Order: sequence, then structure tokens, then C-alpha cells
Amino acid sequence: MKISGEYLLPVSRDDAYTILQDPAMLARAIPGCETLEKIADNEYHMKMKMVLASMSGLFDGKVRIADPNPVSQFRLIVDGAGKIGFMKGDGLLTLTPADGGTNVHYDGSVEVGGTIAGVGQRLLDTTAKMLIKRFFTKLNTEVAGSAASSGKG
Amino acid sequence: MATTTVKPETLVGKKVRRREDPRLITGTATYLDDIKLPGMYHACVVRSPYGAARIKSVNIKPALELPGVAAIFTGDDVKDLPSVPCVAQLPGLRMPHHHMLAQDRVYFVGHPIAVVVARDRYLAADAADAVEVEYEELPAVADPEKALAPGSPAVHPQWPDNTAFTFHQEGGHIEEAFREADVIVKQRITSQRLIPMAMETRGVVADWHAAEKSLTLYSSSQAPHLLRSLLAGIFGIPENRLRVVAPEVGGGFGSKIDIYAEDMLMTFVTQRLNKPVKWVESRRENFLGTIHGRGHVDYYELAAKRDGTMLGLKLKIIQDLGAYLQLLTPAIPTLSVLMMPGLYKFKHISADVIGAFTNCFPTDAYRGAGRPEATHGIERMVDILAAELKMDPAELRLKNFPAPEEFPFPTATGLAYDSGNYALPLKTALAEVEYDKLREEQKQGRQTGKLLGIGMSAYGEICAFGPSPATPTGGWESATVKIEPSGKVTILTGASPHGQGEETTFAQIAADELGVNIDDIVVYHGDTQLVQYGIGTFGSRGTAIGGAALYYALQELKEKIKKFGATLLEANQVSLSGGACIDEKSGKSVSFAEIAAAAYRALKLPPNTQPGLVATHFWEPPNFTFPFGAHVVITEVDRETGEIAIRRYVAVDDCGKIINPLLVAGQVHGGVAQGLGQALWEQAVYDDNGQLLTGELTDYAVPRAHMMPWIEASHTVTPSPVNPLGVKGVGEAGTIGCSPAVVNSVVDALSHLGVRHLDMPLTPEKIWRIVQAGGQA
Repeated sequence: MKISGEYLLPVSRDDAYTILQDPAMLARAIPGCETLEKIADNEYHMKMKMVLASMSGLFDGKVRIADPNPVSQFRLIVDGAGKIGFMKGDGLLTLTPADGGTNVHYDGSVEVGGTIAGVGQRLLDTTAKMLIKRFFTKLNTEVAGSAASSGKG
Repeated sequence: MATTTVKPETLVGKKVRRREDPRLITGTATYLDDIKLPGMYHACVVRSPYGAARIKSVNIKPALELPGVAAIFTGDDVKDLPSVPCVAQLPGLRMPHHHMLAQDRVYFVGHPIAVVVARDRYLAADAADAVEVEYEELPAVADPEKALAPGSPAVHPQWPDNTAFTFHQEGGHIEEAFREADVIVKQRITSQRLIPMAMETRGVVADWHAAEKSLTLYSSSQAPHLLRSLLAGIFGIPENRLRVVAPEVGGGFGSKIDIYAEDMLMTFVTQRLNKPVKWVESRRENFLGTIHGRGHVDYYELAAKRDGTMLGLKLKIIQDLGAYLQLLTPAIPTLSVLMMPGLYKFKHISADVIGAFTNCFPTDAYRGAGRPEATHGIERMVDILAAELKMDPAELRLKNFPAPEEFPFPTATGLAYDSGNYALPLKTALAEVEYDKLREEQKQGRQTGKLLGIGMSAYGEICAFGPSPATPTGGWESATVKIEPSGKVTILTGASPHGQGEETTFAQIAADELGVNIDDIVVYHGDTQLVQYGIGTFGSRGTAIGGAALYYALQELKEKIKKFGATLLEANQVSLSGGACIDEKSGKSVSFAEIAAAAYRALKLPPNTQPGLVATHFWEPPNFTFPFGAHVVITEVDRETGEIAIRRYVAVDDCGKIINPLLVAGQVHGGVAQGLGQALWEQAVYDDNGQLLTGELTDYAVPRAHMMPWIEASHTVTPSPVNPLGVKGVGEAGTIGCSPAVVNSVVDALSHLGVRHLDMPLTPEKIWRIVQAGGQA
């Protein structure tokens, strides 16, 4: 399944590039993320709880950042498996300066397998969009929060 | 002592209510999952989420440590055991070894990898989740045409062309037909993958008795004796120490003829653990691990004269086999070849079948098994020819039927159709819907944009499988009739039913033959320890062969009863009627119960006669039977939504003589429901990676009660000369007649927009797009 979209982050492009690769920030923003640990350069181990249609399950997998081109572009590769199947995602994130911050454009594909494909296929599209939206919204709040606290400090 | 009551009227042909139903509708029947044995373990199967992958490792340790887990077995434990069996044989057939648990690779989503055995099924399921399997995903192919294309991923690495077999059959001189033809019409026609969807999923309880070295296996099976023979061979258990019981079976539609990996796994587990073990398939597992049906891509070419005379038919079938060959997988498309001429007098045919491996679950016999595909194809082609010739489709059909006096009718595929009057059901159905009036209404309606369709199918099928030389497992059937000392009648049939109502129809036959009350007759089936060897119930054979075996057993017994009657009456000759033997000369009679008592008391035996009243008959049929009929469907297509409304559904079926009209109606209704499912809604969809996207009932659209039209079912009766009952079989007729009639109707509704063919299922989206595009698919 192809996914694409864009989102405006109210920070400079340099900050956006850093935030989008900050494990602590990502762990808080990724919906259902339970742990995110660095295991190598640009590679993280992630545990994530996923709810789709009538199923929910824990995915255990890897997040990898590839082809980094600071500060305008990088690839995010996710690969996880759990009791309800597996999922794979590969997306290209492109950052461009925009009015009021940075425009983050993503373009990629998601593949699922096992029960999650057999049962959740119908809702995969909307679920993926919803999760991405939630991710950016949360990121936005986190950014605003840290901006506020650093402002105070 | 109880006595047998005498019955005044005959029952064959009457609407006798199903004797099975009280226990079914009160929830007191014993299905597989109702079986509970002391100390029984429960099993859960770990399945692959990949369509194709290499198994890098299987770690069972974390699962073994969980509470209640008794054992976990993996591919390594069963690597030396024989393959899940396929009994179909074709020249040059490539048969992959189908291990009951995957070895180093998985070939389809749902491929069993390990079996977890625990104290209860919840613990087993939790532990199954804890089994860690590491995969390396491999490229998969799920579409049979893509699988045959060069460069496609190989399902089995040793056969890179993904071709399991090719099969060629011809009759007459096909090239001559195409040379003589004025018109040749061609069409690619698909018959999509379907899920048989028995209401009861599969299940197995296996119980090994170590001291006796014997096994009792309960399985939701259509063919318990076959299951016993195959399991006996696989595990080296002597057949006389292996008891297979098919308890109440909640539907099969072909999917429970097969021997499955789980039947074998439970046999393996109970022997290893010395404990009874149960596995019951979940609905989601049923989608992934019970055979699918259809899966055809067909290429047709029909040659005809300008006047509509059909000359020759060419057919290329690409059969999606799936990754393995289940019991009859490769044989199913060969049945399509046999029935490819339909009811028409083709002198020349040529057929090629290519069996393609794909990374999907195997296809096999599903209600109709090869004949719905063939009927759908030929009935679509006849409509396409009619459109090409600008001829009325009914007239074209009537022109090409053999006449009643031409039977037995030899076909170009080598069959002899037993008996038929093919024009009669079609004419009856057309008269019923007032065909000419409808054509007028259609013409008028088109001016205001109304989309009315009139569709028909004239179907034939090959049933009552069958003469033994034409079947892979023997084609006869058996019956035992025991008259107990009290005169009560016990019937044991080898044709183990799973919803067909043989406890009723067989009792009707026996009640009439013996002249006893139906309440004095009990029919038993499905237990190999109780019942003599039998073949099973599939291919509309239960009554046509099993019923015929019963008929002959009853004749043997009647002769013996008359001997005892004559002895008791001290007469030379007596007749048997109304539950008594009568000496015509003296007018004296002796009741059935008195005869039974005397036969067992044995104080005075007739000459050359042994005590007791028991007869067993094995009957080998001389031919198949060929039921036929016509379905006419009137549809209205909604331009705005693409939805298809069925205004009328008229089915005129000829299944030969009818034992019980209620059961025949039930078979037609159920068959039509499954035919409609294929025509309009159902489709098993695998994506390019071999993921089954329609994995539960929210995505796989089985028709529900409110989606069914009113079915106006009636019958013509052309007795079959093949068996003494004159019956032909009706289990699959509804399904076979339905899908082409529905699709022909919808194509007819859209024909003025230039629509010539539509592939199933005719979902509203598909139809809406076509209507919106002005007929361009």
C-alpha cells in the first residue's frame, strides 16, 4: 500500500531534521511505542502496540534511518513482527522550509502480512493515515512543549 | 416385546420431515467440538504469516515454559513421515512432498510450522503465540497466470515453471470444426477462488490406546473410511485397529473429503503423548487452511454455423492449484473438461489443462467441483454466440440440445449422458417468467434507461461418482440392513452424510420396500467400527449409489423374509406387502414382527436358509448419472449504485425421481445460495505477496438470508436408467445452474451498452464503473 502526505512542523528545518531523528522524541510521538532503543548508528530497536480492526498486538522490530541528506531528506525503514503478523514500511521524508516552520513531506509504502493482512486490510489505509497524523500531532505538541520549557529556561 | 407397526402408505416421493432436525435444532447433536474425553489435551497450530519464506529458526523454549504446555512439535519431529495424501493421478504429475509441518520453507500464508499441545485450548493458543519463528521472506506468486509466466518466482524451487501438470483431451476433429465454421467466438472467462465455508469448521480428536495399539479418531469428515485407510497407511496402524468416527458434520461442500495435515498431526501427537488430543479449527484458520474452490482462468473458442449449429469447442484451463496437492486437487479441472460440451451436441472438442502452483492454499472439490466452472464457461459462450449471431439465446440452446430419443447420448468427451429431455426445463422456466413479455418490457425500459436483464442457463452435470474405473478411490457404495429380532430395522450406510438427510431418505426407501413404519427404522453412518466399508458422500452420490446399494440389500432381505413367511404359513409362495407376508391361496398372513422373531428364534428354518435377517450389499454403478435443468433469472441493475436486484429466480431442475421433495428443495436453495455467492459477492483475494486479504467474514461476502431472492423451484422428472431408484442426484445442481444464469442476466441487462462479458463476482462497484463508463469495462 502506498502512503504519502505532508505536515507542517512549527520549527526550523534544522530543528525538524534533528527532532525527527531523536529517539526520545520519537518514542513519545509514535503511537503505541513502548520502547525505542538505539542499537547502532541510525538503527533502533522498537516495541510498538498496534490496534487494527478487531485485533491488537505488540510488534517487535527495527527502525532504521537510511540515505540521510541533512537537513533536507532521509529514509525511514520500519520492520516489525508480532503475534498478529508482520509489517514493513519504507518512507522518504523530505523537509522544505515553509511559512511558519518546516513542511515535512512523506512518500512511501507499507506492507503487512499474516492475520493483520487477512483481517485488517480494509482498514489499513485509514489506520495508517490516522497513525501518521497522530504521530505528527504528538510531535507538534512535544515540540511546542520543549520550546515552551526551553523558553522559560 | 416391542412390535413393528404396519405402515399403510408409501413414503418415497413424499415431503417427509427430516428426522435429523430435532436434535440439530434443539442443540443436542454431538459435533466434533462437543466431544470431551478424560485427560484430553488441546492443540493449537503455529502458522506462517508469509506466503513464501525460508525458516531460519524456530525457538519453542519460551513457549514450553508457559503453564499447562505439554509438548510442542516442529517440522523436524515429523520429517520422516509420509506426505499429506493426494490420490488423484495424472500422467507426469509433479507431486511435492506435503509435510504436515513445514520443513525449511513455508509455501503459503497459514502453513503449519509447529503444533502446541496444552491442558486447554487457551493455554495452547497463548503458547503458540510464544513460539518464535525467524523467517527470511522470499518472493511469492499468487496468480496462476503470473505463476506460469517466465521469470516468475518458483513456488517449489525444483520446478521453476510452476507447472504441476498439463493435460490434453480431444474428441472428433477440432480443426475440421473450425475450418467449417462461419462464426468463431472467443472469450477469457474466470471462475474465481472461493472459500467453501462449512458452518462447522474442521476438527479432530485423536485417542491412542497404547495397550491395544489402536486409535480412535473423530474427525469432521465426509469420508471416514477413506480417512481411515489413508491414515492407516501413513502411520502403519492396522486398519482393524483404527476407528474413524465422523460425528455430526455441519456441512462440508467438498472441503471435508480431504485428509488434512491436522488429521495427521493429531494422530502423531496422541501416539507421542499417550493422551487424547483435540484440535478445532478457528474460523480464521478455516480461511487459511481448509481447501478453497474454483480458481480457473479459462480461454474458450466456440465454432458454429451461421444458423446457430454448434460445431466445435476449444478450451484452455489454467487451474490455480495452490502450493500443494490436496486429496483430489489436480483431478478437479479434468471434470471441467468432461462437462465442457454442456448439454449441446458438439462433435468436436479440444481441451488443455495447465495446473499452476501458486503460493496459496490448495484448491480442491467445492460444491460442483469442476462442473460449475465448465457450465459457467459454456453457458456464457452460448450467450456470446447468440449475441454474435443476433439470435435469441433460448432458441440457440433449443437448437443444439440432443432430442430425448437420442439417449444414451454419447459426448465428444467420451461420456454417455444417461437420460434427458433438455428442452423441457428450459421451456418450462421461460413460460413461467413469460419470456416474450419480458423481452418486450426490456425493450421499452431501455428507452427510459431501465436496465432489465433476462438470463438463463441450461446446465448439465456429471454426478453419482461413479463407476470405479473412473474414480481414484473406488466408486461403489455399500449398505447393510439388519432386521432385529423385534422387527425393528437398522440400516448402516457407507455413504456418510453431512447434512444430506440420509437418515430420512434412506428410511423412506426402506419403509416402502419392507412395508414397515418409518419410526421403526434407524439409519446409522459415519463410524468405521459400526459400518461396513463405504466411500463417502460427495459428488451427488449419496442417494444415487448409496441409496441404490440399500435398495439391493433390501431386495436380498425381502427374499429371505418371504422364505421365513412361507415356512411359517406353510405355503409354497407368499407375497410381501404392508409389513406382512401373505399366502394368496389361503389368505393367511404373518406379520413382519412375527417373521423377525421366528428368524432369530430359529425353531423352524426354511430349506437352505440360515437364521437371522441381515443383508449387506456393495453396489457398483454402471455409469454416472447426468442431472440437468434450467435456471432463469430476471435482474434489475441500479444505474446509480451498481447494485443488482433479482426480480425472479426460477429453477427447473431434473434430478430424476425424487425421494423427498423437501430435501430436494433444500438442496436447490442451498446450492443456489452458493452459486449466487460466486456470481455476485464472494472472492478469495490473495495479494501479490500471497497474503490472503479476505481472511474473515467481514471481508469475504457469503450471502446472508436477507440477500437471497425468493427461489421458485420446480422439477421435471426424467428417471435415470443407471440405478433402480431412477434418481440422479441434486446436491450440486443449484450451484451449477446458478452462476451462469445470473451473469447472463446482468450481461443481458447491459448488452445494449456494448457489454459482452463480465467476470465474477459482479460487485456493485464493478457494475457501477461499467455503467458509468457507458459499457466499457
